Amino acid sequence: MTSPEVRYRRLLALYPREFRREYEDEMLGVLMADSPGPAQVFDLVRSALAAHLSRPFAPGRDWRRAAWVVQVFGSMLMLAMALRVVAIEVTASTLPYGNRFDLDTVETLRVVGWSVALASALFGPRLIGHAGAVVGLVGEIGAPARYYLDTPAMVLYSYWLIVGAAVVLAAGLGAKRGTWPPRGSVPVAAAGVVLVLHGFVLFGNVLWPIRAALPWVAVALAGLGVWRLRPAVRRRVVAWAVPVVVTVPVVRVGFGGFIEYNGFHPESLRLLGAVQVAALVLVPVATFFVVAELNRRLEASRAVSRTGVADK
Amino acid sequence: MTEPTFLMLTALAGGPKHGYAVIEDVARMTEGRVRLRAGTLYAALDRLRTEGLIEVDREEVVQSRLRRYYRLTGAGEQSLAAESARLRAQAAMAEGRLRARRTEFGGATA
Repeated sequence: MTSPEVRYRRLLALYPREFRREYEDEMLGVLMADSPGPAQVFDLVRSALAAHLSRPFAPGRDWRRAAWVVQVFGSMLMLAMALRVVAIEVTASTLPYGNRFDLDTVETLRVVGWSVALASALFGPRLIGHAGAVVGLVGEIGAPARYYLDTPAMVLYSYWLIVGAAVVLAAGLGAKRGTWPPRGSVPVAAAGVVLVLHGFVLFGNVLWPIRAALPWVAVALAGLGVWRLRPAVRRRVVAWAVPVVVTVPVVRVGFGGFIEYNGFHPESLRLLGAVQVAALVLVPVATFFVVAELNRRLEASRAVSRTGVADK
Repeated sequence: MTEPTFLMLTALAGGPKHGYAVIEDVARMTEGRVRLRAGTLYAALDRLRTEGLIEVDREEVVQSRLRRYYRLTGAGEQSLAAESARLRAQAAMAEGRLRARRTEFGGATA
């Protein structure tokens, strides 16, 4: 092996393993034929860094299709959660001791935002869909933020909805629309109906004994919808969903003491600290990248075993 | 579409080529003004393959090293045609305005 080749191999080692597997041999041939120099080295280092940064997003067809599925399914479920609050208000207003039906601005924003986001995800235009998701996200943040100074734990209870809204917005930005309706839409739509139904079932209703089971029925139906997707798309949809799911253990384990303290000390002014807010933001983001990377490695190893190409 | 991407697709529009041949063709077309480096070239080839604008034509082994030839796909041809039309329209617009400017200033050059 010649000395320049050793040097180039060291530089090529900076690239992601999958990229090297695909192009290292070819690139070596080109590098050996081309003129060497600092510009060549700089270009390799810069491109290797860019390859690392772009890999988790892997802007391939399956990622973009999965992003669209997340946009559609996510908008459906977020709209259902917003309508669930409307259902609670409507049902409460019919009770003898209930308040007059009154939907405030924040809850209206949620319904309008997710309705627009869902309609645009299915029929376009994209920009209006993004605007709808932004409005929905503002509504999801605004709903618990109203009570933050009195009861900071409210934000933690609703945090999965805020992350869910952010995920739907982010997915929508990279989505590529497919054939309507996406596979698995029927069970996910049914999950949405169950969530809205949950809002109508208040104390005294004939369905009250099974009310606690309804969210789990919705989770099962949404899971069935995701299960019916093509495996490559399904794995990516799961990667998108993980940041939302991970908020549950993060809040329970990391903030259980905070919530309990808040419950027993309603007069307390203890709010979330900067490190806690950073953890709430960074943990979901990090889990997305970890699952996306695991998915990439899984697919790369399967591709290797299919083609019989040995890892270098 | 960036200039290197446009030039790479143009190079492949002339027929399937391996990586180094693309570098040479781009340098020849631009009279040496654009000289693609290996890092830039393969980042772009990877992206264009992902987007379905190019695909592998064939592979051969030369001096115990893999050499892969790439070719333009139908989508790549359409994309290149659309970009060419866009550049042509812009060039025509620029030329039109320059002509008008020369007429306005009585043929004087700045």
